[in-house]
Amino acid sequence: MEGGAGITLAALSSTFLVGLSRAMILFIVTSGLSFVLGVLRVPNVAHGSLYMIGAFAAYSISTLFGGGSLGFWLALIFAPLVVALISLIAERTLFCHLYQREHLMLLLFTFALMLILGDLTKIVWGADYRSIMPPPVLQGSVSVFGSPFPKYNLFLLIIGPLVAVGLWLFSTKTKIGKIARAAAVDMEMVGAIGINVSWVFAFAFVLGCLLAGLGGALVSPTISVTIGMDHNIIIEAFLIVTIGGLGNMWGALIGSLIFGITQSFGVLLWPQFAIIFPYLAVVIILTLKPTGMLKAVW
Amino acid sequence: MFGELIRQKSFGVSVAIFIMLLLAPSFLPRFYIYLMAVIFVTALLAMSLNLCVGHGMLFQFHHGVFYGVGAYTAGLLLVKTSLPWWIALIAGPLAAAFAGLLIGMFCIRLNRLYFGMLQISLGSLIWAIAFRWYDLTGGDDGIHGIPVPDFIASTTGSYFFVLIVTVICLLLMFLILKSPFGSTLQAIRDNPERCAAVGINVRHHQLITIVIATFFGGVAGILFVVVEGSIFPDLLFWTLSLEIFIMCLLGGWFTFAGPILGAAIIVSLRTFVGTYTEYWTLILGVILILLIFFLPEGIMGTNYRQLFRSRVKYNGEYQTE
Amino acid sequence: MLRIKNLHKAFDDFKAVDGAHLSVDKGQLVAVIGPNGAGKTTLFNLICGQLQPDKGQILLADEDIGKLPPHVICRKGIARSFQIANIFPRLSVFRNVQVSVLSQQKLSNKLFHPAAQLAVDETNHILDSVGLLDKKRDLAGSLSHGDKRILEIAIAMGNEPELLILDEPTAGMSPEETTTTMALIQRLAADQGLTILFCEHDMEVVFGVAQSIMVMQQGKTIVQDDPLTVRQNIEVQQAYLGDE
Repeated sequence: MEGGAGITLAALSSTFLVGLSRAMILFIVTSGLSFVLGVLRVPNVAHGSLYMIGAFAAYSISTLFGGGSLGFWLALIFAPLVVALISLIAERTLFCHLYQREHLMLLLFTFALMLILGDLTKIVWGADYRSIMPPPVLQGSVSVFGSPFPKYNLFLLIIGPLVAVGLWLFSTKTKIGKIARAAAVDMEMVGAIGINVSWVFAFAFVLGCLLAGLGGALVSPTISVTIGMDHNIIIEAFLIVTIGGLGNMWGALIGSLIFGITQSFGVLLWPQFAIIFPYLAVVIILTLKPTGMLKAVW
Repeated sequence: MFGELIRQKSFGVSVAIFIMLLLAPSFLPRFYIYLMAVIFVTALLAMSLNLCVGHGMLFQFHHGVFYGVGAYTAGLLLVKTSLPWWIALIAGPLAAAFAGLLIGMFCIRLNRLYFGMLQISLGSLIWAIAFRWYDLTGGDDGIHGIPVPDFIASTTGSYFFVLIVTVICLLLMFLILKSPFGSTLQAIRDNPERCAAVGINVRHHQLITIVIATFFGGVAGILFVVVEGSIFPDLLFWTLSLEIFIMCLLGGWFTFAGPILGAAIIVSLRTFVGTYTEYWTLILGVILILLIFFLPEGIMGTNYRQLFRSRVKYNGEYQTE
Repeated sequence: MLRIKNLHKAFDDFKAVDGAHLSVDKGQLVAVIGPNGAGKTTLFNLICGQLQPDKGQILLADEDIGKLPPHVICRKGIARSFQIANIFPRLSVFRNVQVSVLSQQKLSNKLFHPAAQLAVDETNHILDSVGLLDKKRDLAGSLSHGDKRILEIAIAMGNEPELLILDEPTAGMSPEETTTTMALIQRLAADQGLTILFCEHDMEVVFGVAQSIMVMQQGKTIVQDDPLTVRQNIEVQQAYLGDE
């Protein structure tokens, strides 16, 4: 500890970087949530559970391959795919039959999914704490303004922007991305030009869940993976998309940055109430702009 | 004012049930008396939520917060101050209604889903404070063994107290729903745009509804303190809020008494199924899915329609968005 | 009593109302006609406060009501019906009308007094005058399309309006129902001394009924005059420009 004398530049900069890397995880998770919100107009309450499953799946895959470098990279690829598969099954067997129904029913379905997936995770992986080591190349830390900064967090700082750019390219350059974006604005029109709306929904839902799984896999080396992490992330993700603007991808990025950075400075300034700081930021933002920083897609 | 009550077809049945419940402690074992008290508290909470959801179509997603605020206010006043017990019990619902007014003023500017999301956000803020402020609230452990006056401290005493308060609250809610205010609220539920066009200030009306609903939610909160003698942050956690949402839906959210039935079913299931398996939420999730697919209007709502299908041909033509 | 001057409303790039003028005198039965998409419904939404104009004035007895919310405009004596049957489907026919009567009598916020005993005579009277009294216990959602449209008008009547605005009151009705409905509207206007502003896309329905007709096209007011002059005017236009 630095002692009570004052907050040094090193502490400030490392706090900032920690917040930034946390924001990257949050962004990857909330961009998925935001995507589903934009297209389906449903806040996917089960999003947090899929994030948790992503983390557990990453643990299992990495353990399967001996926990080394190979295991980690394979986990990073396959854990999100496992999550995507789970969401695809849920979507095609049950969720897709509700699209014609009242909107509230869709929301409640995702809640039911959260309850079920939460307990299934407990059944499969148990209630123990799990941890994963990052691959050797990302272990240890580098020095930033004289204070150590974990290499893995640096890795997150690279991955986050990559995902953002990837999503941006995907939604502006590919055909299916354009359809999904059009669907977010005007679903009826998309149906009218002969596109199978049900499959657009399915695709958006699965892609959103895949991002949740990726977030879970990425976060797994930085925290202890355990039951209950779904409940915490989903509230944070809700707050972030609300302050960002519902369904707005860039809003999710801004919201994540605000959230991650206020949180880490909260830890620096007043550890006991660190959790309050991002919430306060949310209240302030929503007082000024009730519908979020950026334009909601609906 | 009470003439409306006596004219109800179910009035006789309700009085009979009430008398049965008054006599229950003389022949039921203690555990069941306790369980029934818990059901009453939960039923009152679900009923108060349903004022917003079923009768007002307001997406009150974090109603549990007001339950928690009521409970924490009463609990903290009882533990930390030497104020008389009845002040604590009155302060609980008032604090809840005040929180409802504050959060409601924020949320009411927004529509449906945004309303719900914002409420979850603001409610979680209150949860976070209760969760972290160890010195005041005991943090995640909460506070246990809250002293309540002797006459409501025993299982039977608290049972009677909860029963009487719940029945009074249900009567008040019934009268409110039958009043012009309630009638207008249901019209807003069906068609807010049309209501504005007949001269009703829709937002204002909805805000009053939220304050009333959160007041009754706060009453449920103080009853929880009386029955359990403890407070903890889970009361304010959003999963509880969604659980009571399910109760409204299960019982029938467009009916008056549906949420009572929903609360009774969920609480009983949790108590009895919970002794066999730790995977209670899995079962709750499956119930919810079955409900969504097969009984979207809840148990009481559905029966009503089947019973009167020949006379009332409701064609389902109404919009939520 | 109602004067609209140079009204504009655009949605993004689409100019829905682009220079509308209208004047409605007390006791008149005024019709707005024009093809689908001419901006008739948008105009009505602007008058009643569902939308706010970008530019121009809506004067009700010399007061600009353009920026007021719907419920305030309603209390100033303008009631309306909507084009799609805009009723309260889960409430009985009686309660549908009672809601607006209660609102008119400023009883909507009354707690703890049974609504069933309030505004009963007024509501029954309105239902009787539109011919729905025998269906008053039915759920509004279960009515036939024609009856729903009539119920719409009845709800608007509950506000005892000075100016009643009807958005295509006969849309989707059979020729028979159309005749009955127009007769009803004429009777209401005559019996209760109502001023009525309504719109139609079917011109022939209008000419027999209205005292003044405003023609709209692409958001613009082409002309407002008595039916005879308007008919000639339209015929002149069609002769030169061809029938579109």
